[in-house]
Amino acid sequence: MAGATSEAGPSVIEQSVGGPTWRQRMAPRIAQSKRTWYFLRRNTLAMAGLVILLLIAGTAIYALTTNLSYTQMTLVCATNGDAANCLASPQTVCTYSPGVTPPGPGCYETPAGFPSVIAPTWGGVLSQPGPLPLGSLTVNPGVQYFYNTYDGLLRGADWSLLISISIVAAGATIGLFLGAISGYMGGVVDEGLMRLVDIFLSIPQLLFVIVVVTVLITLLPSTGAAFADHIYLLIAGFLVTWWPFYARIVRGQVLVVREQKYVEAARASGAGRGRIIARHIVPNSVYPVFIQMSLDVGTIPIIIGTIVFLGIRIFPSTYLPEWGTIAALSVTGLSSFWNSCQVSTCVIPWWQLLFPGLALFLFAISVNFLADGLRDALDPRLRR
Amino acid sequence: MRMWTYVIRRLLLIIPIIVGVMTITFVLVSALPLTERFTSYLGQPPRGESYNPTLAPGEGTCPANATSPCPNPYYHYALNKLGLNQGVWVQWGIWMYNSLTFHWGVAGNASNVVLADYPAAKGQPVTTVLGWFLPYTLELAALSLAIIMAIGIPLGNLAAVYRNRPVDQASRVMSFSGFALPTFLLGSLVLAGFLIAFGAPNGFHSYLCSGQSTYSDFTGSWPPAYCYANPDATNFGYPSWLTAGYISHPTGFPTVDALIHGQFWLAAETILRIILPALIIAYGTVAILLRFVRNSMLEVMNLDFVRTARSKGVPERQVVRRHAGRNSLNVTITVLGLTFAAFVGGFPVIEYLFQLKGVGQLLAYSIIYPVDFGLIFGTTLLFTFLVVGANLIVDLLYAFLDPRVRLG
Repeated sequence: MAGATSEAGPSVIEQSVGGPTWRQRMAPRIAQSKRTWYFLRRNTLAMAGLVILLLIAGTAIYALTTNLSYTQMTLVCATNGDAANCLASPQTVCTYSPGVTPPGPGCYETPAGFPSVIAPTWGGVLSQPGPLPLGSLTVNPGVQYFYNTYDGLLRGADWSLLISISIVAAGATIGLFLGAISGYMGGVVDEGLMRLVDIFLSIPQLLFVIVVVTVLITLLPSTGAAFADHIYLLIAGFLVTWWPFYARIVRGQVLVVREQKYVEAARASGAGRGRIIARHIVPNSVYPVFIQMSLDVGTIPIIIGTIVFLGIRIFPSTYLPEWGTIAALSVTGLSSFWNSCQVSTCVIPWWQLLFPGLALFLFAISVNFLADGLRDALDPRLRR
Repeated sequence: MRMWTYVIRRLLLIIPIIVGVMTITFVLVSALPLTERFTSYLGQPPRGESYNPTLAPGEGTCPANATSPCPNPYYHYALNKLGLNQGVWVQWGIWMYNSLTFHWGVAGNASNVVLADYPAAKGQPVTTVLGWFLPYTLELAALSLAIIMAIGIPLGNLAAVYRNRPVDQASRVMSFSGFALPTFLLGSLVLAGFLIAFGAPNGFHSYLCSGQSTYSDFTGSWPPAYCYANPDATNFGYPSWLTAGYISHPTGFPTVDALIHGQFWLAAETILRIILPALIIAYGTVAILLRFVRNSMLEVMNLDFVRTARSKGVPERQVVRRHAGRNSLNVTITVLGLTFAAFVGGFPVIEYLFQLKGVGQLLAYSIIYPVDFGLIFGTTLLFTFLVVGANLIVDLLYAFLDPRVRLG
């Protein structure tokens, strides 16, 4: 972990008349940001992580601007001739009749009469990617409906980012607040808060999220709850388990910072407790929090995927197009697919595992690279 | 003498944590609907009774000519039993008493898929059912820990000694991907890989049953039942000490019991079946351990005593092993203490994916609707106790190994 990062630089001498400009006041921080950016730029892995993250963020912004109300994954349809069953579906990607019309490209027939999977179909030119450029996502084998992986990944990026960023931001705010108070006050307050943190941290995080989310779900009416309520519920469930990590990190950092000379100077010149915490201690203790935040942004979709994989239905009738959820669905669909398929007619739907998994993996690993680079750049002891 | 004071102080620190964890579960349980609380903690109502607050005219003890619904005596009995008709503090007190005396509710009220294999479990106390499943989880945990230590320590030392060489780079890639690959994804990929590799037509004959391997050949705590039923596949049926649903006797630990009964094939089979899940669980934790061991090794290698050892002519091998390498045990203990919660938290996923009997699988099936809240809270408490116990052991070991901790 990052230890002391108290590179605040020389303190700016306060000007009595008119006050210093913003640029003058922020000079040490701007200098430090420049220094951090310099070291970050030289770290290849961190830059790769940053580039991937920017691409993902771009996708998310594109998704946000094109379709705000994309709350359900797009269904596509495959039929063995009787299109009547698939009328509700917006798009029929593959039609065939057993023994009469052979299945179309990428469409695999099974003894059950339904195609089990549909492979990625490319139109030959990049601008026309075909109906299912990343293949189908089979959730229930033997059903004519499939999820469109491409659509889900492309237009679900914003949900992943929004949910994880809001959880992490809220958790970090709570943790920063409590950690700063705990570290600065010391004594009974510190002892009490830190025992509370110990209690929360001794429950395995994943189980804690599961328990809180299952309990919260029972509080919602079984039908008719607003879509946003389910999202708030998810965020609340994560928040309960998330703040202690930040509180502990911040507290450790504050313990170091509060002994620094500039805090003493501020106290000597008559600054109040609130001002010292807000203006001197918190700004100098946030760097480890940034690192932890960037790591957690990548972890949250993984945990959401895990709870969806374990069978928690956050939404009663739909699946949120969110990367963790899509990856989990690809896997649950696959395991039932293994169970149901007969080996001789089996197609191994590699696309179903690869693309959602790759999206989730790239997101998490780019965030990891970036966090690692940040840690190196912010902590002078680790600089190579 | 100082060691004992430290042990006692450390033991006392557990009390607030246990009380706090139980209070958190109390708060969560209080948020549940009343019916859920009654069925989870008192079991299904006896025949002819219900947990409805009132009885309709003609129902139960309510006379048919009653003008309005009568109060349900059984409902009030249940309220009284859990203290729900009294103040919050009384409710909390009853909850704490029940939790500390292992009255964690009644299992199997919801239609639980795992418990379908265990008809006897329906209506059993949660702690009894957890006791049946815990040995499986402990065996898996022990194997994973062994793998973590067997891989993490030597590889971390190697990465430090050959810094920035291929070994180091490979270990770095491994540690990064360990963070970024979710357990469920990695597990499914490995399972899919096994099926592709060994399940190909006419390629592989399962080591269990003749014919092509299927999903269940690589999963499950015990060989699938059809292997036993198939006469030309194996020459063994269910051993008598494996009761219905495969709960083993006398210790409950499947491998140990198989050895006690002299059935080595079954012990080997059990271990074979948990090697893959254990490797996958180990992957995430090894990633963290590797990094810590490497970094601490790099720090130690620059210290004076290592330089002294080198300068007096101790062979490099011995310097690495004896002088610098000793330190990695401390680091391992620290890392295992830090990551134990995450390590244990991975069990539901892996046991669910590989269909292994265990507490994690119990949890995974309890959260599928209809939710079995007694089992969910029981499992969470059990895992929390495992974490608290592991942290205690880690701290004591650390104090034993490093006198600075207990004296400082």
